[in-house]
Amino acid sequence: MDPMNYILLASVLFTIGAAGVLVRRNAIIVFMCVELMLNACNLVFVAFARMHGDIEGQVIAFFVMIVAAAEVVVGLAIIMQIFRTRRSRRWMMPICSSTRRRRDSVCDCD
Amino acid sequence: MTVSATATDVYLAAAPPAAAEAGGAILSNAWLLIALPLLGAAVLLLGGRRTDGWGHWLAVLLPLASFGWAVLALIELLGMDPADRSQTVPVYEWFSVGDFSAEVSLLLDPLSISFALLITGVGSLIHIYSIGYMAHDPGRRRFFGYLNLFLAAMLVLVLADNFVLLFLGWEGVGLASYLLIGFWQYKPAAAVAAKKAFLINRVGDLGLLIAIMIVFTTVGTVAFSGVFGAADEIGQGVLTAIGLLLLLGACGKSAQLPLQAWLLDAMEGPTPVSALIHAATMVTAGVYLIVRAGPIFEAAPAAQLTVAIVGAATLLAGAIIGCAKDDIKKALAGSTMSQIGYMVLAAGLGPIGYAAAIAHLITHGFFKAGLFLGAGSVMHGMNDEVDMRRYGGLRTAMPVTFATFGLCYLSIIGIPFFSGWWTKESIISATFAYGGVTGQILGGATLLGAGLTAFYMSRIMFLTFFGGKRWAEDAHPHESPASMTVPMVILAAGAVVLGAVLVYGYRFAEFLSPAVHHHAHEFDLAHMLTAPYSLAAIAVLVVGVAVAWLRYIRAEVPETAPKGNAITEAARNELYGNTINEELFMRPGQALTRAMVTIDDKVVDGLVNGVGTGTRDGSLSLRRLQTGFARTYALTMLFGAAIVVAILVVRF
Amino acid sequence: MIPLTDSAPAVLASPVITEQPPAIDYGLLSPMLVVFAAGVIAVLIEAFAPKAQRRSLQLGLALASVLGAFVLTVLQVGALPADEAGVTTALGSVAIDRPTLFLQGTILVLAFISLLLIAEQRSGESAFAAQAATVPGSEEERSHVLAGSQHTEVYPLVLFAVLGMQLFPASNDFLTMFIALEVMSLPLYLLCGLARRRRLFSQEAAVKYFLLGAFSSAFFLFGIALVYGYAGSVNFADINEAIGEGGSPLFAGTAEPLLLVGIAMIGVGLLFKIGAVPFHNWKPDVYQGAPTPITALMASAVLVAAFGALLRVFLMAFGASVEQWRPMLWVVAILTMVLAAVIAVTQRDIKRLLAYSSVVHAGFVLTAVIAASPEGLAGAMFYLAAYGFTTIGAFAVITLVRTHENGPEAADLAQWAGLGRTSPLLAGSLALFLLAFAGIPLTSGFIGKFAVFQAAVAAGATPLVVVGVLSSAVTAFFYVRIIVLMFFSEPEGSGPAVIRAGALTGSVIGIGVAATLLLGVYPTPVLDTMLPQPVGEEAEPTAADDGFTR
Repeated sequence: MDPMNYILLASVLFTIGAAGVLVRRNAIIVFMCVELMLNACNLVFVAFARMHGDIEGQVIAFFVMIVAAAEVVVGLAIIMQIFRTRRSRRWMMPICSSTRRRRDSVCDCD
Repeated sequence: MTVSATATDVYLAAAPPAAAEAGGAILSNAWLLIALPLLGAAVLLLGGRRTDGWGHWLAVLLPLASFGWAVLALIELLGMDPADRSQTVPVYEWFSVGDFSAEVSLLLDPLSISFALLITGVGSLIHIYSIGYMAHDPGRRRFFGYLNLFLAAMLVLVLADNFVLLFLGWEGVGLASYLLIGFWQYKPAAAVAAKKAFLINRVGDLGLLIAIMIVFTTVGTVAFSGVFGAADEIGQGVLTAIGLLLLLGACGKSAQLPLQAWLLDAMEGPTPVSALIHAATMVTAGVYLIVRAGPIFEAAPAAQLTVAIVGAATLLAGAIIGCAKDDIKKALAGSTMSQIGYMVLAAGLGPIGYAAAIAHLITHGFFKAGLFLGAGSVMHGMNDEVDMRRYGGLRTAMPVTFATFGLCYLSIIGIPFFSGWWTKESIISATFAYGGVTGQILGGATLLGAGLTAFYMSRIMFLTFFGGKRWAEDAHPHESPASMTVPMVILAAGAVVLGAVLVYGYRFAEFLSPAVHHHAHEFDLAHMLTAPYSLAAIAVLVVGVAVAWLRYIRAEVPETAPKGNAITEAARNELYGNTINEELFMRPGQALTRAMVTIDDKVVDGLVNGVGTGTRDGSLSLRRLQTGFARTYALTMLFGAAIVVAILVVRF
Repeated sequence: MIPLTDSAPAVLASPVITEQPPAIDYGLLSPMLVVFAAGVIAVLIEAFAPKAQRRSLQLGLALASVLGAFVLTVLQVGALPADEAGVTTALGSVAIDRPTLFLQGTILVLAFISLLLIAEQRSGESAFAAQAATVPGSEEERSHVLAGSQHTEVYPLVLFAVLGMQLFPASNDFLTMFIALEVMSLPLYLLCGLARRRRLFSQEAAVKYFLLGAFSSAFFLFGIALVYGYAGSVNFADINEAIGEGGSPLFAGTAEPLLLVGIAMIGVGLLFKIGAVPFHNWKPDVYQGAPTPITALMASAVLVAAFGALLRVFLMAFGASVEQWRPMLWVVAILTMVLAAVIAVTQRDIKRLLAYSSVVHAGFVLTAVIAASPEGLAGAMFYLAAYGFTTIGAFAVITLVRTHENGPEAADLAQWAGLGRTSPLLAGSLALFLLAFAGIPLTSGFIGKFAVFQAAVAAGATPLVVVGVLSSAVTAFFYVRIIVLMFFSEPEGSGPAVIRAGALTGSVIGIGVAATLLLGVYPTPVLDTMLPQPVGEEAEPTAADDGFTR
């Protein structure tokens, strides 16, 4: 099988991930879509490593996984924080100022 | 003065000052001249109350050090070959980007060093005087800070080697002048006067700025050497425009017609300020500009003649105003206008007048500063009374002030062998030597001015120091402290001998020749004394003094000004300068503004506002894109990515 | 230290079994190692030090390490070989050359100043939330506020972010660059969400910044993957070489689309970080929501780091295909300069206004990137340094102006009216900063604009410069409007309340004013250090004609 097929598959996964970021409302799902995009990248790296016959691409894939894990830690912390504040799963709330006048201390747009 | 057949035009080094690199350590560190007073200003103005105790001593010391440096620089300059005396001293490279480089350089040549000596020398004396004069003022530290700032800016102005740096100094002195006129800002008159000076100076500054812009666009440089070297290649029309705009700038700063109205009001500032800024130094900046830009004016005769005419008109107008004012400082201010008129007239004569103009400028710096300081001393002793009709008979109460004021008085009216005589005589003879009907008319004006000078100065002298006492009840005139009298004595000494030092043998003209075009001729003292116009000058002098004697010594002086005839009234009202300004500029200006507003509402709004609201509407609709929804942002990014990929991949 | 002749082997390109340890020049890496070590120690302090001492310990450690790293960075300048642009180390993954050192030095100085601002406290109240985990407005939050809780975790987070910033412009292959990008960004995402006031804004800013940042990272990574496929390596020098040879032999010269799409996607990732239109949307919201000291850090040091990376990628890795990417950056630069300037005109919130202004300035610097010349590089670096100082100063002023005593920062521009009367010194400083943004002569902004525009004109991008000048005229309009507002408008009611500047904030503003003036009046020493030293005319072309080492 032509290794280029892996690249095509990865591109499809990447596009699915990007589309998910655009259409999904739940921040967790959006974040998972980003992870999908990163993993599509990993697939490309591994496929090209195979084609070039060196292990550089494979090593990069490991690094990306580690970075993705770190991102999950930070991302979940931030998302959890705002979830607790909002008690809502919509992450696409407009920042208040751009649609209406803010109040002084704590803004409660909800 | 002989303008004999042997007279030769000495045009040294084909116009531009040869930009030799500086030699000695003194000259190459000329930036210190500016840095020292600037440091003083910074310390005093930023240091706050901590410097209240010793700040004024620092402020005196630094200009003195600067003066010392200038003297050393002069010595070093004199040690050089006359042809090498134009030194360009690079201070630092402002920035250089690619092949473009902007440098800040100073030009040290006989002309600029003369000014530097005058500014730092007279400036230091006036600083010393101010210690006594401002001793009880709560804002003394601020005052000294401003004075130092002024000195630094003035030195930038005269030491600059290009028009932009000169303009920087020009604005700097304008700022310092504004701050100092309005120093007693709690007096409404002072605040108004400061604003007036600021506004009128803006007109002149705008002229100078436009001139610099035209110069830059036509020649491609603003450095003096480059501009003057290329003066011959610029078209006549453009040159005339540049010359007239430079003249406009000079008129604003030097209080020449038609921008003279601010100077008399500027006397609201403390007297040392009037002496330093509005008599000895800043107001002569216009003369400096005209002489410095000599090559431009020589190539544009129409502009040059305008300069001479403006000078002649102002010298008469100033003298007439000086004759009628009862406020001693305003009378002296009128005299300043008039004397600067002499200088501008001489500068407008071209090479035969430059040296005379600068020489008179320097001696005037001394005797006029001496007169102002004397006036300040009188006011100091008379509870800040300025009306001369309330003075009288002060010569016994203030002997030192009387003596120094008297020597300066003899100098300004042109008693032979006093400083003023030498330099004014040079101007009168240069005017007659200009030739033609123009020369005769201008010469007539200088003679008439000499007579008026003798009259108004004698009037001041007699009203103040002679006659009966017309003092206010509570006046106890007393001599001023030594810190005030010593500077006056030094200035008076200069007013006596400096003229001879400069003019005898045309030494000063020779010295200046590397910097300015100079018309050399034989020096002949006998001719100076016996030429017809010299005798005429002495005659009008005698007449002027005699008339003043008849009116103010022989006759009783009323304590309030009597109703005068039409001419006196006109002179008292400053020849209706303010009224003219109001009628000619303010009213039509207001009408124009109203008309513009109407037109703006009706016509321009449709056009410009179309564009304006277009931008705003565009901005608002673009702002609407900023919805705050992260999803929309992601979508924008994706579109952006698509665009970026498309530009790269799609080939046309 | 690997000499340049070693031609920097691709990371692990040839898996030869060897007992030789890799040659790593720890001296050259020492500035980064110091900051990294300090970050690790700071985490330990957080775990073990008693609560009362944490803040002073953390602050001292952070300031000392950043300062020490700066000193070490300066020392490295002398360590570079005189006739080379620089050297690569750690198996060719990090390039230490003069641009790197200049950018790292700038980042460290700016980070130091930002740390001063971050550390400022007024009666125990800092710019950061007492306890970020609590729900805003809850009883729990109130108890933490009353107990005087503090997030001293801010300091290690900043240190790690600074480490990422140092590595970002120094990385010499895409893997290192990606890691650096994430090390820089992840702490910033968290820091954005820690504001004490208006916490909902802050949390929203954090979540937006995080999601969009991760989104852009994915693009960046996909681009890297494609370029890796094209060139068979992620090392910049190798990629440049591969472009010259038409790509890896594997594809027999048919793989150019891989490269072009790769360049575009890497471009998206980097342009997002600098905030160029149309990847700028996050900036206003994040700048507005984040605690102002963090905004200052992002607007200065992060921008420098991101541009450093952008310059290295486009001038070095893709230096051979400059004709391909130039039109793309043209479009982005024009969009950035025009759209951001137009939108900024109607902004009413001062932090949003400065955010848009930051976008416009990114557009100006992009013109220097497009020039792709040593002058362009020098101009861009000068611009970034000058802008960094000025913008930190401006944000420092913002922290002091409040709606009322003990109130939040006065965000609405209308509340700034009359500031010039109540506190002339503060308003004067801000006026100076705004004039520098507008590029008035004798301020650093003028020299910076002159440098970048001059480089662009020299490279034949005159139309771009015309757009830039028009755009800066528009920006000057709204900067001057603020000055007019401060000095000549009647205040609403009693006008804004200005709290006394503490020693830290005061020195930040002072440094900002001094740097803005100094770089405007006497920029020559700084400009000189940046241009590649002309040592021996013939040595020039080989020793990297763009000033980067290879």
